[in-house]
Amino acid sequence: MTQQSDGSFRIIGRSLTRSDAEDKVRGKAQYLDDLTMPGVWYADVVRAPVPCGKLLGLHFDESFDWTQVVTVKPEDIPGENIVDMTGLDMPFLAYDRIQYQGEPLALIAAPSKALAREAVNHVRAEVEELPAIQSIQEMVERHKTGLADSLRLLEKKEIRRGDAEGVLAGAGKVLEGEYWTGFQEQLYIEPQGMAAEPMESGGVYIRGSIQCPYYVAPELMKVLNLPLEKIRVEQTVTGGAFGGKEEFPTLPGGYCALLALKAGRPVKMVYDRHEDILFTTKRHPSWTRYRTALAEDGRIAAMEVDMILDGGAYTTISPVVLYRGILHAALGYRCENVTVRGFVYASNSFPCGAFRGFGAPQAYWGLESHVEDLAEQAGLGPDEFRLKNCLQEGDITPTGQHLLTSVGTPAVLKEALRRSDFHAKLARCDQGRPGAKSWYGIGVSFFAHGAGFTGDGEAKFGSRAAMELGRLSDGRPGLTLYASSTEMGQGAKTVLAQMAAEGAGLPFDRVFYPLPDTRVVPDSGPTVASRTTMVVGNILYHAGHKMKCLLEEAAAKHCFGGASVRLEGGRFFAEGVEARPFEEVAEVLLAQGEPLRTEHQFALPPHIRWDQERFVGDAYPAYSWACNVAEVEVDPLTLQIHLRKITAVYDVGRIINPTLAIGQLQGGLVQTIGYALMETMQVRKGLYDANRLQTYIIPTALDVPEMDLQFLEYSCDELAPGAKGLGEITMNGLAPAIGNAVRRATGCRLCAIPMRPEDLYATLYQGAKD
Amino acid sequence: MNTITRTWNVNEEERTVTFGGLHRLLDVLREDLGLTGVKEGCGEGECGACTVLINGDPVTSCIVSAVQVPEGAEILTVEGLEKLELGRRIQKAYMEKGSVQCGFCTPGMLMSSYALLSRNSRPTEQEIREAHAGNLCRCTGYEKIVDAVRAVADELEQGTRSTV
Amino acid sequence: MKTLEEIFCRQPETLNEALTLLSDEATRGVLLSGGTDLVVQWQAGAVPMPEQVIDLSAVPELKEISAQDGCLRIGACVTHAAIRNHALTREALPALVAACASIGARQIQSRGTLGGNVANASPAGDASPALLVADARVVTASLAGERCIPMNEFLLDYRKIDRHPDELILRFELTPCPQGGIERFCKIGTRGAQAISKVMGACRVVMHGKDIQHMALALGSVAATAIRLPETEKLLAGKTLCEELVDEAEACVLREVHPIADIRSTAEYRRWVSGRIVRGFLESL
Repeated sequence: MTQQSDGSFRIIGRSLTRSDAEDKVRGKAQYLDDLTMPGVWYADVVRAPVPCGKLLGLHFDESFDWTQVVTVKPEDIPGENIVDMTGLDMPFLAYDRIQYQGEPLALIAAPSKALAREAVNHVRAEVEELPAIQSIQEMVERHKTGLADSLRLLEKKEIRRGDAEGVLAGAGKVLEGEYWTGFQEQLYIEPQGMAAEPMESGGVYIRGSIQCPYYVAPELMKVLNLPLEKIRVEQTVTGGAFGGKEEFPTLPGGYCALLALKAGRPVKMVYDRHEDILFTTKRHPSWTRYRTALAEDGRIAAMEVDMILDGGAYTTISPVVLYRGILHAALGYRCENVTVRGFVYASNSFPCGAFRGFGAPQAYWGLESHVEDLAEQAGLGPDEFRLKNCLQEGDITPTGQHLLTSVGTPAVLKEALRRSDFHAKLARCDQGRPGAKSWYGIGVSFFAHGAGFTGDGEAKFGSRAAMELGRLSDGRPGLTLYASSTEMGQGAKTVLAQMAAEGAGLPFDRVFYPLPDTRVVPDSGPTVASRTTMVVGNILYHAGHKMKCLLEEAAAKHCFGGASVRLEGGRFFAEGVEARPFEEVAEVLLAQGEPLRTEHQFALPPHIRWDQERFVGDAYPAYSWACNVAEVEVDPLTLQIHLRKITAVYDVGRIINPTLAIGQLQGGLVQTIGYALMETMQVRKGLYDANRLQTYIIPTALDVPEMDLQFLEYSCDELAPGAKGLGEITMNGLAPAIGNAVRRATGCRLCAIPMRPEDLYATLYQGAKD
Repeated sequence: MNTITRTWNVNEEERTVTFGGLHRLLDVLREDLGLTGVKEGCGEGECGACTVLINGDPVTSCIVSAVQVPEGAEILTVEGLEKLELGRRIQKAYMEKGSVQCGFCTPGMLMSSYALLSRNSRPTEQEIREAHAGNLCRCTGYEKIVDAVRAVADELEQGTRSTV
Repeated sequence: MKTLEEIFCRQPETLNEALTLLSDEATRGVLLSGGTDLVVQWQAGAVPMPEQVIDLSAVPELKEISAQDGCLRIGACVTHAAIRNHALTREALPALVAACASIGARQIQSRGTLGGNVANASPAGDASPALLVADARVVTASLAGERCIPMNEFLLDYRKIDRHPDELILRFELTPCPQGGIERFCKIGTRGAQAISKVMGACRVVMHGKDIQHMALALGSVAATAIRLPETEKLLAGKTLCEELVDEAEACVLREVHPIADIRSTAEYRRWVSGRIVRGFLESL
């Protein structure tokens, strides 16, 4: 049953100040490069000089004094030369085939960065260069012309409901559209940084700026030839990630670990920005093609989607990105006949990787641009068409999932249209009117995001988290939480503590969420997929509740003479006696010396069913829903696009901390302004052409328009306290809303992002379409 | 290479440093003076994470050579803010308004806020945005940073009024 | 590998000291002003790090703004922030003030200098079009004396200026915008602030009613150096402003510019928008 949330919580739903804010405003927060590491050496990497080729040899210049440094070549790897991610196709150090320019060939550590770099410059790779695939355009061309066999296919997957091909074949008119997106750099402000040191007990201690402590060890086990428990991984304060520190840090973590083990001393590697842009993961470039038939009554009769992602050189996590992409590519509207086919092909650029949205922003750029044309064909306004066709409670998704709980549609759509006065403003759009001083346009997009791992992934994973009564850093009693989820700026440290405190019946300041260290925390899963608040929050809320029961029991026994005790708002209550504060009772309990610890494991609602082979069933445990409205003014003189206003309404379930939630939304929307209007890079001669902040342009404070943001809380009651995903859906829909607004302003549909004045010029005045 | 010695007033304390050639101010602050609150985000003056004030002017310390900072100059970094009334107010507003997320841009951002408000206690919205346009933030979308600066400006105005 | 620390830095405290260092090949070094371009280029490896530099930041003679003999003198090491804020420049050189306000953000404006911007000789140097429409002269100095070179002759080619190895740029001399004159500056970038331009333009116009008495037009990022548009200026000067004339001027601009494609924009758009910038200037009069 869908319902608006109530407000019967004490700590959840309050805009409490972030627990890490004070350290950060005082300059006291210690990021990796701020830590003192006595005797540390610096790592650097010998990289492949060509995007594709055969490595014939590595020559170490004899004039250089190699005794000053430590080197690791492929033959020095103690274990298997492989990165243990999906696919197992990526060597840790390339030794035969080179699949991208900059691929690591050897590692060097030296007492100074300058010496390490000098050593790198004294290594020469002898290669035989081979032809490279360097753009998605080339990839799509081969795919379309039957030359797909000439490409390396990394993954393909299909979703099929009804008979889209049959309906399209018999349809009078089929609307077709092709849409393109390019690379996007996460551009966390703290560059990548990892450090490793050998442990006295054997094994290696790896620290750094990471999203997923439990990814690093299993992915490095084979390379390091160490058992899991000999690889300790700890997160340091992380200055932004956005997916960029999900799977990637395994690489520098491994460079440092190999070098540290060989050198017998700590080794660290902090990327400079240039290196960070050149040699880390990007959002997958994409191409989508939609073919749709409308029924006479303006409903969607059939939709067929093809999606291609450029995976870069190796598989890494591209299959998972593709799955999320195709699961969202036709997710939004009722349709009985849907086929979605997805492909990831390899190219010769750095492997693409995780980035906020994870395939869904690419999918919605296609779908929500295409729907605009469908509305026109149906003779309906973009608002009317969406209201008529949008998925609602009780409807069925392309994978056959019945939407039964916490379905905030059509509410988000109606509210955004109302707040923005969409319908009235639609009539004012200029459509490239000659003589106008400015071209106004308004556009809308409607979209979803599945929260958590795909299908029953969460059930299979079985995330765990724990908490224990002890003393906090102020010396007073409190709960310390143990989970592997990471604070990277999004507020997990605060929000998870709020949910734990709520469950435990304790004040917020008596609950502490430390930086995760795999030596002590259970695996609550990676901090990805908009799952942390929903899944890990749920675990800690329940573990908190268990802790409350445990504390009540112990208090009854040791402090209340066996009477029935209730813990609420940080006070213990019992019949007939005065209430006693938590800290006073906790002191007594701590003096008993019995550990008070609770743990909880995540359980999916049992009705969730998923067939991973056929891609049929409940694709996600819950969906967030949203509508974005963008208003633009295009300058007819220069064709510059000025974004004037964003109206955004989001159902992300229960809001745990309103200030932090709005902050996530604002940040995600502004990151999407960059994606839609500014951020672009191409692979040229093997490397990204925009490889510095002077050329890779992201929004500043002056590029942010007026924003009217609203949450509608359709709490996910099956997963108390009812939060759904928030982090990623902020990036899913703004680009097509802007694209649709630009179309109404200029009369010109741009099919690729970013949308630049150059593209408008080419389309409007050069008749070119690229 | 030549070696230069300078004495500056850093965060209201006299500090003497010795460095070579065109060594970056950023490195002198972080490595020699231990002021690791000053962050390096790009090394080319684009992101603003390393912003400090020299005699009240905001500069990106990653592209300023220490040798160009004259003897006796006053340098203010994030670590010095809490010694100043206005600095404390700005820090508090950032905490209360939710202006901090990952925190890596925060030290530089705070310095730009301080540079603005110490010279203009009643900035317009546009002036606030311009004053922070040299500080890139990828988390917040800037809105809550602008909110915090506006809140301090309002507070300063209230303060002026109540003392009049 | 060379590092910044290893560069030998001399810091003259007077102009004469600086010129003396420049006069001797043994002490001559790369001239450093604000460093906002140079230090970045060295670190990026775009330009090799020099053995030695002469830092001009402590030479007081290079930091002055003054009015003299009907012209405005701006020292080579005057910062963009100083130009933005100085009463003399604000009054007499609105296009230059707007250009300086568009260079980087505050942090860059507090360090970067006019002389550095010009000496860097990038076609995208923000100050150059505004200097060109103000008929700027570049005054260079060496122990042998001063030379005064018109700005358009001083900019020789892509990243090349007419400075002798023993010279430094002393100051710029600019003709103030006349009473009743109008200046405009326009920069097309990728974002609202701190962007390197795709194309930028400046103009200085004196109108009498609808009659154009004086017209100076300059564009940046459309050729190897910032350029004046003599043909378009000739077309416009002395004419009465009307719609047809604006059309003609826009078409004329397209014949005068030869932009290239690079990471920031396409050649076609740059060429087209050059005409549009001039149209925008004229339509705003």
